[in-house]
Amino acid sequence: MSYNPKTPSRHRSRSETRTPLAGSGVAGSNGYALNPSPTKGRADLTNPFISSSKITSSAKSRQTSPVKRPTSGSYEVTERLRRQASTGVIRKGGVESRLDVVTRDYVPPPKKPEVKRARSQPARDSRDRFITTRDTAVDEVVASLDMMNLNTEPSSPGHTARLAAAAGVPINKRVLAYHEPPPPASSDTMLSQQRELVKPLYARPGALPSSTASTTNKTRRIPTQPERVLDAPGIADDFYLNLVSWGAMNVLAVALDTATYIWKAESGEVVELGEAPEGSYVASVDFSADGQFLGVGLATGEVELWDVETQTKLRTMTGHSVQVACLSWNQHILSSGCADGSIWHHDVRVARHKVGELLGHTGEVCGMKWREDGELLASGGNDNVVNVWDGRVGDVASGSRSTARWTKRNHTAAVKALAWCPWQPALLASGGGTNDATVHVWNTTTGARLHSLTTPSQITSIQWSPHRKEFLTTHGFPTNSIMIHSYPSMERVAEIRDAHDSRVLWSSISPAGDIVCTGAGDENLKFWRVWDVPKVKKTKEAKELGRSSTHSGILAIR
Amino acid sequence: MPATKQAPNRQAITLKGSTTLVTEFFKYAANTILFQRGVYPADDFHMVKKYGQTVLVTQDLALENYLEKILTQVNKWLLTGSITQLVLAIISKDSRVTMERWVFDINLVGQPAGSSEPAPAKPESEIQAEIRNILKQIVSTVTFLPVIDEPTVFNILAYTSESADVPADEWVDTDPLAIEASKSQQVKLRSFSTDVHRIEAMVAYRYEG
Repeated sequence: MSYNPKTPSRHRSRSETRTPLAGSGVAGSNGYALNPSPTKGRADLTNPFISSSKITSSAKSRQTSPVKRPTSGSYEVTERLRRQASTGVIRKGGVESRLDVVTRDYVPPPKKPEVKRARSQPARDSRDRFITTRDTAVDEVVASLDMMNLNTEPSSPGHTARLAAAAGVPINKRVLAYHEPPPPASSDTMLSQQRELVKPLYARPGALPSSTASTTNKTRRIPTQPERVLDAPGIADDFYLNLVSWGAMNVLAVALDTATYIWKAESGEVVELGEAPEGSYVASVDFSADGQFLGVGLATGEVELWDVETQTKLRTMTGHSVQVACLSWNQHILSSGCADGSIWHHDVRVARHKVGELLGHTGEVCGMKWREDGELLASGGNDNVVNVWDGRVGDVASGSRSTARWTKRNHTAAVKALAWCPWQPALLASGGGTNDATVHVWNTTTGARLHSLTTPSQITSIQWSPHRKEFLTTHGFPTNSIMIHSYPSMERVAEIRDAHDSRVLWSSISPAGDIVCTGAGDENLKFWRVWDVPKVKKTKEAKELGRSSTHSGILAIR
Repeated sequence: MPATKQAPNRQAITLKGSTTLVTEFFKYAANTILFQRGVYPADDFHMVKKYGQTVLVTQDLALENYLEKILTQVNKWLLTGSITQLVLAIISKDSRVTMERWVFDINLVGQPAGSSEPAPAKPESEIQAEIRNILKQIVSTVTFLPVIDEPTVFNILAYTSESADVPADEWVDTDPLAIEASKSQQVKLRSFSTDVHRIEAMVAYRYEG
């Protein structure tokens, strides 16, 4: 029994009580806060958390059931221990930590021989208030303090011990780190950036958007400059008109406002064909299949028929009330698409020329094309609808052939671009305007949509290549480009950006199938040699042309 | 190479063999952690066959040498029994805040007192299976460990006893790079043991909120 005049500290090493006064070693002084004056020889009654052997029943002591009565002396009291107890050192593994309560009067019972432990750290309940989740079986090295400076020199052993107890870091251990810092990463951990840089090396041709004017296939050079540029002064910059047509006699017809001109490709000669009547302008031109006749649609709704050779107007077919912006020939039938949405078939041989009427559009008819064999007629309107009509004309009972075979509403903008595939008759390509900018390829036999291709800008026309499995699209807002895509992969083969200074509105393919003429509101007609005419010899040339196939080959595909 | 032989006369694994095993384990575990946590770019790692599965090891020579130097010393400490813990701390490069601590406790498997004959040697396949499990578990921790977006560096800390022989110019005393207690979450991982050593793994990570 030793009353020690020094002020012992009182604190618990067990945290179950979780009392603020049971702080262990956060600051050494805390431990001393509890101490009553040492002169009191009795148990401190003012502190309810401390109990001692001398506690009286009147004391306001709590129910401290885990208190061990230090009556049984089972520990040897060594000098060291005594000193420790008096200075309030709580050593983990020491005697005090085995008790729930430390009292001032406590005489440590004789020390049990330390069990040789294989563990470097005794596996006590090491929970304390600093670290809430701890596995008791594991040495906890997560320090409760950010900077733990363990001074193993016991200058203040109590302090150190308490720190150690709090932190769970064992004393007599050194924390060592290699003197060199680890080597930095040799490359950026964000490899995606690097992959992005390398991407152009791995990309297939045409797969990447190019910042230059065009991308071309490595094995194939598509000239990005037009072969020829023709001046077209006064040409109207109107999306809904169709002012360019290339006839089978290798003659190009262009409508410049009121006048129609023809340009002979072979000679380069320009001839004015005719003029529209006063107050009107030409809205559409289209050559007949043999190139002998030219149909001209006017803003007033009249459709004129001209003989190209003699440059004379053969007849004027009236009836429409508003402009006729689309014309398409089917042998002797000239179909006209009107701004009121109606399509009329005109038989040019007979006096009563109107032989059919198709009502399928609620908006202006922007694009219209007959299939080569005359079986079907495709029409696209300002109402975003693509109609595919049965091509048989003749005595039509009202209602029997007046509905389209297929009505497609997939486009979200005006459909001006329509083109039938020359080597696969059932295929129809349609392209939408600014809001849509998508090409859809349809199988008109089944009505299925086979492919779709999104492009960056409004599509104004589509031309299929007769010799390659590709098609060309001309665009307006915002790229003013000409793009060539392969079919059916829809891969971009080439892109000629800013082909014109304004929207590329019209295109027409030469009879040979190698040159495409494009027209725009910038009053230029540009001729692009985008495709080659395959030579008749099959042996070497077929290989040279790569994917292109000869006529017989094309028919054999699919 | 552990000294365990598959002969009918099974020799217990020696201390040297066990330390080699443990050091090797640390090497592969460190590599796995560095790969999984994106401390080093993923492309720097290549796959090797080890412990009956493929593990990723760095090809970066600088990193490999660095780890080699550290682990050689760790090996020496293991032989003398002076090292008690190995910690791989992942800290943010810019803010120097510890994001994760991978803690490997090293304990000596004591011989049960009073056993006259050596305990049956642990078969190597079993040890390998345990190591496999730990490595797989380390890989699986990505499911709950917080995503680290910023560049990080790692530090290896060794907890040794006082009496450890420390080459003064190579190893310095440092702070434990602890995570703030209020922000720390710990998960105890699997452990493996040879006949001599017992290695327990734990990961503590910094978790806000």
